[in-house]
Amino acid sequence: MLTILAKLLKALNSETSAWALALAVVLGMFIGITPLWRIHNLIIILAALIFRVNLSLFIVSFGVFSGIAYLLDPWLHSLGLSLLEASSWQGIYEAMYATALGRLSMFNHTITMGSFVIALIAAPIVAAISYWVIANYRKRIQAKIMKLRVVQVIRGSRFWQIYTDLRG
Amino acid sequence: MKRSIIRWPGLAVFAGFVLLLVAISWLFLDTIIKVTLEHTMGRLNGAEVNIERVEHRWVPLSLTVAGVQVTDPNAPQNNRVQIGEASADISPTELVLGRTLIEQLTMTGVRVNQPRESEGEVYVLPDKEDMQGWANQSWDKLTMSLPSVDEIVSQVDLRTEKVIEEAKTAYEQQEQEVKAAQEALPSEEKIKEYEQKIKQITEGKVEGLGDIAARKKALDELKESIRADKEAVSNFRDEVKQAKDVVQQQISELKNAPGNDIDRIKSFFSMDGSGLQNVTGLLLGDKAREWSKYVLLAYEQLGPMLARSDNSATVEPVRGEGQRISFADDNAPPEFLIKKARTEFMVGGTVIDVDWQNITHQHNLLGQPTTYQARADNSDLWSAFNLNGEMSLTNLGIDARQQWQLKGAQLQNLGLSDSSELSARILSSLLDSDGTVLVRENKLDGKAMVRMLNLDLEAEGSSKLTSAIAGALKQLQRLDITTNIGGDIQSPSLNFESDLDNQLGDLLTQSAMGEADEKLAKIKADLTAKVSDQLGGQQGLLENLTQWDNESGDKSEQLEALLKAKIEDSLKDKLKGRIFGGS
Repeated sequence: MLTILAKLLKALNSETSAWALALAVVLGMFIGITPLWRIHNLIIILAALIFRVNLSLFIVSFGVFSGIAYLLDPWLHSLGLSLLEASSWQGIYEAMYATALGRLSMFNHTITMGSFVIALIAAPIVAAISYWVIANYRKRIQAKIMKLRVVQVIRGSRFWQIYTDLRG
Repeated sequence: MKRSIIRWPGLAVFAGFVLLLVAISWLFLDTIIKVTLEHTMGRLNGAEVNIERVEHRWVPLSLTVAGVQVTDPNAPQNNRVQIGEASADISPTELVLGRTLIEQLTMTGVRVNQPRESEGEVYVLPDKEDMQGWANQSWDKLTMSLPSVDEIVSQVDLRTEKVIEEAKTAYEQQEQEVKAAQEALPSEEKIKEYEQKIKQITEGKVEGLGDIAARKKALDELKESIRADKEAVSNFRDEVKQAKDVVQQQISELKNAPGNDIDRIKSFFSMDGSGLQNVTGLLLGDKAREWSKYVLLAYEQLGPMLARSDNSATVEPVRGEGQRISFADDNAPPEFLIKKARTEFMVGGTVIDVDWQNITHQHNLLGQPTTYQARADNSDLWSAFNLNGEMSLTNLGIDARQQWQLKGAQLQNLGLSDSSELSARILSSLLDSDGTVLVRENKLDGKAMVRMLNLDLEAEGSSKLTSAIAGALKQLQRLDITTNIGGDIQSPSLNFESDLDNQLGDLLTQSAMGEADEKLAKIKADLTAKVSDQLGGQQGLLENLTQWDNESGDKSEQLEALLKAKIEDSLKDKLKGRIFGGS
């Protein structure tokens, strides 16, 4: 846990692009907010691993959004149900349902549909917010935080040792 | 140097991750299937489902599930169904397309209503009203009680005393009226006087025509008086006749009064069975419900599970599980189909093979109903059994029909009731049964006849009533029961009608009368003694009346004879004697 937190701080304090970190948050959100055992999550994991996405932030984002998803479950179910019952979309759903890939995607599952649509809508917003937070952190907060007494204490702790080890 | 956007080692990590998933799935597939099946079936069943073992085979793709225990949500200490082993051949091509097609399913060792080792967890509580209705079926609820002779005598309006009073009043009244009429009767002396006067008028020396005229006048006056007396006699005789009729009726009523009162007491003992609160249901209800689980198996077990699999309304969606919506078009094959299945039911050591065709929850896509046939002849338990039916799920619910015949089932040592109030057991009997059940939009409508022949029942009761019922049950030779099947498919209700209640009513009456006989004899003797005092008076009066009737009859005849006396003839004779020189 300490290692992940240290890596997270390292990423925030590193030269990595803020957009790259924001992408990690968005991908983590997708996998966190939608049900885990879905084919699209395999693609997201592939994307997170193959592209230079910060995995620590990806994991933290996954954890945070899993919690949010749990809180939103009933609402996601209702949303998914209303989307799947929308009469104008029935033809598309039936066509998708007739294909093996459509079945594998489990789009016909209410929570999967509801959460995926919410994740799609939230993706640009979450990305923008993440970018803004990271950029502002680096610009304004990072230096101030380093001067705080509590940070001074932390810098003398084992956690700081891990952090510095990681930095190399 | 700017780093590449692609992290090639990540691809290797991904490959490793996927391989790990595949390996875990491969290694733990049986466990994953077991847990998934337990979870899914448990949710459909509404209570815990346990699976002992799951085995799969890749070529050909097949699955074997052993030791399946399906908890009964109504009685979690029992399994509603228990399956020894089920094996299925699954079509892999259909599976890839997201459909489950099982060409052949074989289930062996299927038993219903078996006790569990430990109580199963219930996920969906059964209808409370249903449970309440079930709990109300108790021997304790029997409202009927067997009355004692004293209780009945205190309630019955005994009429003997009243009859005696009426007889006494009638006696006095009749005696008074008859005596009043008697006083108007002519005395013997008066009749003799009439005779003498007639003699004087009609006999003696005739002095001429003037004398004849005077005598005739005197005779007419005398006859007038005689006629008045005869009228009095006639009135008296009418009074006597009326009094005799009344007294005879009173005697008859007096004689019958004790017997009538005893009959009235006895009638209070007779029981029409209405207070017995359907002993048939109490006695045979549990067993009939157990049997019905076999007969209605297709509906009670498979029907609701199939219905639930296609209808979220019947199962509360579990939070976080969501719901799968089917978008199969009308021409698509069903998503779940067992083309053929063979289930071996174990009933008391006898195996019944049930052959199923087209088990699915999407009959609209298949265009055919699920059908099933069972036949087992010449088994150790019965001489013939066959059952067949069909079932299909529509948008409005389950539509189905089923019929069966069972002949010569041998019941041996079969416990019926083991309550503290009454224990009953069939030592031996032959059972025939046939019936039909229709289901329309989840509503059951059926009738089953159960005929028990050569009944040999053993029963013992703890209260006065249940002891009497037990005694009556032991005398039963034959019992015909009509079971009406109704209610919803998920909670069928059984209603029993038989002649048992009436038979018990008669037998209980006999039993109660047997106990009361001695006491009733004493009551009858007391009543007869009371009656006999009054009866003596009445019979005495009747004898007097008869005697008076006879006497007054004589008087009437005497007066009639006097009235026949004619003056003309005697005078003619006298006058003829004088003219022709006679005296």
